[in-house]
Formats: sequence, C-alpha cells, structure tokens
Amino acid sequence: MLLEISHLTKSFGSFTAVDDLSFSVKEGEVYGFLGQNGAGKSTTIRMILSLIRPTKGSINIFGMSIEKEREKILQQVGAVVEKPDLYRYMTGYENLNVFARLSNKHISKAEVMKCLELVGLDKRAKDPVRVYSQGMKQRLGIAVALVHNPSLIILDEPTNGLDPQGIADIRNLILMLSKEQKKTVLVSSHLLSEIEQVADSMVIINKGKKLVEGRVNELLNPDKVQLEIITDNNPLVKDLLANSVWAKGLRNSPDQKVLVDTTADAVPLLAKYLVEHHIGISSLRSMNSLEAYFLSLTSGNEVE
Amino acid sequence: MRLSSIVYIELYKIFRKPRTYIAFGAIAAIVGLIQLGFYADGESYMKFGMQSLSDSFDVNGNIMNGYLMAFIILQTLLVHVPLLIALVAGDMISGEANQGTLRLLLTKPVSRANLIIGKFIASSIYTIVLLLWMAVWALAISIFIFGADDMLIMKSDMVTQILASDVMWRYVAAFGFAALAMLTVSALSFFLSLFAENSIGPIMATMSIIIVFTILNTLDLPIFNMVKPYLFTSHMLGWKGFFDVTVNENNEQIIGSIENLPAVLLSAGVLFLHVIGFLSASILVFRRKDILS
Repeated sequence: MLLEISHLTKSFGSFTAVDDLSFSVKEGEVYGFLGQNGAGKSTTIRMILSLIRPTKGSINIFGMSIEKEREKILQQVGAVVEKPDLYRYMTGYENLNVFARLSNKHISKAEVMKCLELVGLDKRAKDPVRVYSQGMKQRLGIAVALVHNPSLIILDEPTNGLDPQGIADIRNLILMLSKEQKKTVLVSSHLLSEIEQVADSMVIINKGKKLVEGRVNELLNPDKVQLEIITDNNPLVKDLLANSVWAKGLRNSPDQKVLVDTTADAVPLLAKYLVEHHIGISSLRSMNSLEAYFLSLTSGNEVE
Repeated sequence: MRLSSIVYIELYKIFRKPRTYIAFGAIAAIVGLIQLGFYADGESYMKFGMQSLSDSFDVNGNIMNGYLMAFIILQTLLVHVPLLIALVAGDMISGEANQGTLRLLLTKPVSRANLIIGKFIASSIYTIVLLLWMAVWALAISIFIFGADDMLIMKSDMVTQILASDVMWRYVAAFGFAALAMLTVSALSFFLSLFAENSIGPIMATMSIIIVFTILNTLDLPIFNMVKPYLFTSHMLGWKGFFDVTVNENNEQIIGSIENLPAVLLSAGVLFLHVIGFLSASILVFRRKDILS
C-alpha cells in the first residue's frame, strides 16, 4: 500500500472531526475520498500532510510514518488543500517558481513552464495572480502540486467553484496523471458523480466515520438499484410489492415516496405490474443503491 | 532543504510586497521633513537652545552640523521605527495564514523549525536594511547638507562635546545597537504573528506591549522598579551610551572613550537574550501548531 491510514482520530475539544478512520490507497490508483461538506475530509487530508496532528492513529506513506519522516515523504507528495491560495502580488510563474524551489529538487525554468503548459496557464504565466479567475487559480494550485513530479498527488475538492468546462478539464487532468504518468491520486469531493468518473476505489465518510470502502465498480454495481416511486396509492403499492418477487427491500422516504430495493432488469417488470393493478404512477426514478444512500446523507434525510 | 534557500525565498517575498516599501518611504519622508525644517529655521532653533550656555561658554564653529542632526533624528525616529518593523515581521506568519499560503508552504518538504528560522532571518535582514536606509538618510545626507564638525550634545545637567574625528565610529556602534533593539521588536512581533490569522493583531499587540512597557519605565514606583531591568524597552535607547564620553582631569574628552561601557553591554545582552527567547519560543510553538488556516 502506498498510503495507509489506521484508526485515525482528530478531536478539537469535545468535537470529534475524524473518528477512528482507516483506509488504504494502492500505488497507481485514483482513490476517491467522498463525504458531505464538514464530513472530515479536509481534516483527514491535513493530517495526511502533517499540517495537523492526529489525536490518535497512524499514517504511513511509502511505508514511512509521516510523523517521523515528514520531509522525506513530502518530497514525493504534491497537494492542494481546500482552495489553492497563492501569493496575489506575484505572477503565476513566480508563484510556481517559489514553490518549486521549496521542493528540495532542482527544477529548471523550462520544467516550470512545462508544468504551466500542462495546466493551460503558459500564456498567462506573466500575469499577476490577483487577476486570475477561480478556475485559473485552481489550475495553478494543481501546477504547484505537480511541479516537483511527485508520486502521490492529493487534491482536496479540486473542482470547487469551477464551471462545467473547468470541472471537465480537471477530471481529464486527473485521468491523464493516472493513466499516462502512472501517478497515485487521492481526490476528495462531496459529489459522487465526480468521484465515479475518475476513481478506481473510494471511501465514503460521514461525521468523521467511514461508511463504506471499496472498488468503485463494485460499490456502484449497476445491477443493484433503488427505485423511488410516487403514486396515487402508496399503501396499495407497498402491499403489492411486499408480495412480489422483485422487491428486496421496501420503505417510505420522509417525503412520502416509496423506496424499493431491486435489480436493474426487474424495473420494467415491476412498472408493468403496478400499471396492471391500476396504480397511477406520477414518477418512477431508478438510482444506483450507493448513489441513493449517498444522496440520503447529503440531503440529511437518512432512509428508514 | 537548505536554510539559505528559505531565506532567499522569504526575502524575495518580502521585497515583492508593496507594503514593504511603506517603511522606506516613511523614513525618507520624516527625515527629509526634519532636515528641511532645520535647514530653514535651524539657526534660530539652535540659538534658543544655546541661550543658557552662551553666558558661560564661548561657542564657535558649526554646531548645527550633520552629526547633531543625525542624533536628533535617531532620537525622534527610534520611537516610531518599531511600528515599521512590526509591519513586516508581524505579517511573516499571520499574513501567510491569512492568505492561505501557509498550508501550501507546509505541504512542501521544509522543516517547520527551518521555516521559522528562515523567515526570522529574512525579517531581520529587512530590519537591518531599513536601519541602513535610515543611517544613509539621517547621517550621510545630513552631513552632505549641514556639513561635519564637533558634536555638541546638550543634556539636562551638562554639555558633551565630541570631536568630529571621534564621532563616526560612535554612529556605527549606535546603529549596530539600534539594529539589535529593532531585532528585539522584530522577534516579538514575529512571535506574536504565530497566534493570529491577520497581521493587524500582531502589529497592534507589539505596539501595545512597547507602549505599556515604556509607561512602566517612566513610573518611578518600587513595584515597577523591580521589573524594569528585565524589560527590553528599558534597554532600547542604550545606543545613547556611545555618545557619553569620559573626560580627563583637564575636562578634555578622552578619544574613543565610553563613560559606562558595562551598562551598554548589559543592555545589549538583555536585548540579545530577548531575541533568542522570542525566536526559541516561536520555534517551539510552530513545531506543534495545527495549521487550520
């Protein structure tokens, strides 16, 4: 394992931001770190980077403890924590050059420019950062993380505040870093759709605790779905489905929708079955079960 | 990572910031105004000041010369320079925390202790450069405008005359001492900047401490007299000791003499210990600090 987090806990007074969290990242994979805002993602990332001290637990990167071998480890790590704040009075090039010098490696001017080119800022290199858009700052922040050619890249909510094109650019950059440059990337987000598109594995946390961890394609199994049905007769629908072979689970959502756990191939049969029993269906929405679960967390309405 | 690289980067950041030049501009403006004032009305001012002496002494030569001007300017400015020092030193950590760049800095393989030492050395270099700038304006330009002659310093109970040939080294020593005094202010401001996320707090706190300590110095009460020797503000004007000369039995100045060298050295020692104390405390605090900005 390239990164191993073991029983990590961080408390601020009586508030526990991260609670006994464990997960591991393999070399070469894109690892998604998913959770609502305030779930403890940034606190965890700050601990990984030794910006804050854990209350309990351990962090090993490249087989070394971050507590004991901080500088050695950070030579091989590039990171952007939350929004990339840079020196506003300096140009993009100057900013990148300052951080490149701090990387303890000899990085030539050409390499700095190449890095700016990689994030599409080479033509704006001489402009002061104070005139950069949010998206440009985000890309420069990523350039700061990449400039010393690290093995592990940690990006904390890299698409925050970006427009759709900016989000797509960052996504493509992450995929390129992983597929072409064989980098290991830990990327955090509060959006499942973002993680789904780039990550090989992921962990979901809520209130500082791990909810689920695994391969994305297994967790987001397209065969397992949750149906969200709005009808004119919910009690009858529940009776009918309770006696059917398709419903693996059945419950009401807080906003009076019927939620049914089933399989993807059963959806048309189930819909036909309800129509044959003269049920008026206003809406029938199929979601992946993990997506439904995550949505229930982000909306703050946990399913029964 | 080499400490010299950190110092270079920190100096680059200091001198790329527009606020850095406020201090240089302020010193040039204040010194220029004082020089202009004395150039225009200095003679009548000096006549007024010499009134009480003219009955007892026959004073010849250029009293209002560059050396005296530099002494007047130093006395005036060293009260205000701490604010200009705190402007930069108080921003060294808190400014980075405020901008959010501190966390980005600490994702790089830089040891926290080295970062603090590097930043402190950079802010010290700024302090020394600022004092050199002040020396150029206060001394070199004053000599250029007013010329050089023996220096006459009036005190409440005596007049000290220092020969022109014996003055320059005293200024070099005085500016060296002033640099140590200002480094103490810089170290205090730097230390306070660890606890804030904007630079206003440390700047205000530094000035408040200096004001409170200075007031304590002026109160002649037994309870305060006990602590006065330990307050750095009690020693900040120790540079004046270089202008107290001893005289021989004929009341002639002994060239190269300092009336109370042990007191000057004691003051320098107290200031130096404060610098070391503030810097060590900064390293200790920063090494354990959670970066939440």
